[in-house]
Amino acid sequence: MKKSLFLTISLVMFFAMTTVCSTVYAQSTIKVGIVDTYTGPPTTFTMDVLDGFKLAVNKINAKGGVLGKKIEYATRDEKFKPDIGLAMAKELVLKEKADILMGTINSATTLAISDFVKKEKIPFFVTFAKSDKIIGEKGHQYIFNMNENTAMAGRAAAIALAKKPFVKYWIAGDDYEYGHAIADNVWNNLKKLNPKAQKVGESWWKVGEADFTPYITQILAAKPDFIIVATGGSGMVNFQKAAKATGLSQKIPFYQHTAIELSVLKPQGQNAPEGVYGTANYFFYYPDTPANKAFVDEFKKAYNREPRIGALSGYMTAMFIAEGYKKAGKINTEALIKALEDMSIDSPVGSLTIRGCDHQLELPMYFGVTKKSPKYDFLVASDIQVIGAKDYMPTCEEVKMLRK
Amino acid sequence: MIPPGILSQIFVGLSRTTILFIVASGLSLILGVLRIPNVAHGSLYMIGAFTAFTVTKIFGEGQAAFWMALIIAPLFVALISLIAERGMFQFLYEREHLMLLLLTFAFSLVFGDLVKLVWGGEYKSVPVPAIFQGFVPLFGGLPFPIYNIFLLVAGPVVAVLLWLLTNKTKIGKIARAAAVDREMVGAVGINVSWVFAIVFVIGCLLAGLGGVLVAPTVSVTLGMDHNLIIEAFLIVIMGGLGNIWGAMLGALIFGITQSLGILVWPQFGIVFPYLAVVVVLLFRPTGLLKSTW
Repeated sequence: MKKSLFLTISLVMFFAMTTVCSTVYAQSTIKVGIVDTYTGPPTTFTMDVLDGFKLAVNKINAKGGVLGKKIEYATRDEKFKPDIGLAMAKELVLKEKADILMGTINSATTLAISDFVKKEKIPFFVTFAKSDKIIGEKGHQYIFNMNENTAMAGRAAAIALAKKPFVKYWIAGDDYEYGHAIADNVWNNLKKLNPKAQKVGESWWKVGEADFTPYITQILAAKPDFIIVATGGSGMVNFQKAAKATGLSQKIPFYQHTAIELSVLKPQGQNAPEGVYGTANYFFYYPDTPANKAFVDEFKKAYNREPRIGALSGYMTAMFIAEGYKKAGKINTEALIKALEDMSIDSPVGSLTIRGCDHQLELPMYFGVTKKSPKYDFLVASDIQVIGAKDYMPTCEEVKMLRK
Repeated sequence: MIPPGILSQIFVGLSRTTILFIVASGLSLILGVLRIPNVAHGSLYMIGAFTAFTVTKIFGEGQAAFWMALIIAPLFVALISLIAERGMFQFLYEREHLMLLLLTFAFSLVFGDLVKLVWGGEYKSVPVPAIFQGFVPLFGGLPFPIYNIFLLVAGPVVAVLLWLLTNKTKIGKIARAAAVDREMVGAVGINVSWVFAIVFVIGCLLAGLGGVLVAPTVSVTLGMDHNLIIEAFLIVIMGGLGNIWGAMLGALIFGITQSLGILVWPQFGIVFPYLAVVVVLLFRPTGLLKSTW
């Protein structure tokens, strides 16, 4: 009895040692730790980030990896909770020895991890969180933002809306940070660009509000020219359905950030309202270039669905990691960061650059309006107006001021 | 004469009340008779909505599809609840409420992940059936969605059916008796276990029905359960635990204070129904109507 116990213990220890050793000696890979929400509503967006990233990694590894090393990744589900997310990030860095972190869809988690990577000197690629603090006042040299934030989206929308003849604006939205941030950023920029714009009222509903009809009848009675609707997540679809049912979409035009995006329009099929203004960073059908087509085909072949915005940020994160190390010529964090600054590489939407001063990816923003299409069984964005990254991103000086 | 704006807002509030009432009455029924604070009630509502999505897809999104969903989805939810009741809850009726609360909470998590596995994380949308599409100008030309008129009719129909069930049928009478004194009902030779099963299933069926009815107006998505369950519990508490008419009254107060609150102060419209709950509980801590607890 005693003997067998001793045997088991020594066996367990032997295996434990070999696995420990293997992780120590097998630094022949580049390890990327991904912390994101993989349960609940946010999966609508996070799965695209992961799948886009996987697609690129498989391609890179098939070609022999980066400087002879394969990219390896591990995912952790933060369950949309900052404390869990931070613990996962720590585990990935300290135990799994991740060289790079990426994620998350939760701004609070992202900010928590941001503090941690600053101390640990680990590059962190932000793929979906929208808080402008991430790259603004809380930004530092280890953080890379691969998507737009509320400040950028708001400014881009304001640039496009300022050219329209609307005067009386109503502001409505989900009563949480994202909603208020989008609304404030659109409105404050719009007022600067078009001094004639005036606000006639506001309504705010709770996140996850199921029925918008009472809000809409109230807005209709006030007769504004235009409504800025700052909804996020499933509220996007909920509002559009209510706008269609009440006839709001035919009477008063309105804007929602990402209203023209596939995740909002596809589920509604032909029943989505036409004439809704929105902004988005990516469409699988626009720009109609061979590069984008090739990316869409590859993505569709692998996952049997069209890529959305998250897919692009996931894909580009892997591409930038690979190209960054190649340019640096060695697997070294500081060298990677230096290499990535002001680096441009080709992407499905044209050449993209990571701005040196704040590590923000310069993505073009598309402003458009929903319209039925003969080609698809769902509505698409039409009259697309491209707003260049340089026009809607805060300037380097502004970012410097924020980071003080 | 009430201004048309307020009138319109009241009716919108009433139609919103319908879904809240249907779901909350199911919750209240289970709470009153079985004494289970069923946190998974919201999940069953969500499953109802997702099933409605699948059924309308299968039947080609036409007119008939919606009516099929209205029948099939609640039955499907009822089936799930029957399995849960026979397989699990029937052994736990004597346990403490806190235990049951935790158990049903666990169920809500399990159901949430099952829904994700079956239907995926994407938003789903159920189209409004063709005859209910669009809106009619009512109350001084303000548009009123036709689907909301349908809801305004559906609410009272369900209420009447529930009244008939609890007051005019034998099972309803037994259930009411069992709610007061379970052992006594058992002592006169009635199989209480099955009565409880039927009541549980009917309560859950109402959750499923609420899910189908709400589906055309919202995006069917993960997380819709959590939003609803809190409101449903507040309504049940406000109305009096276990009292179906209390649930109706609570839903009415909840829906109308919200829609009128929006009219008065749109920035803070969300506060009003919760304020109403506070006021009610301050003056009537056991709820507006008689609680069965």
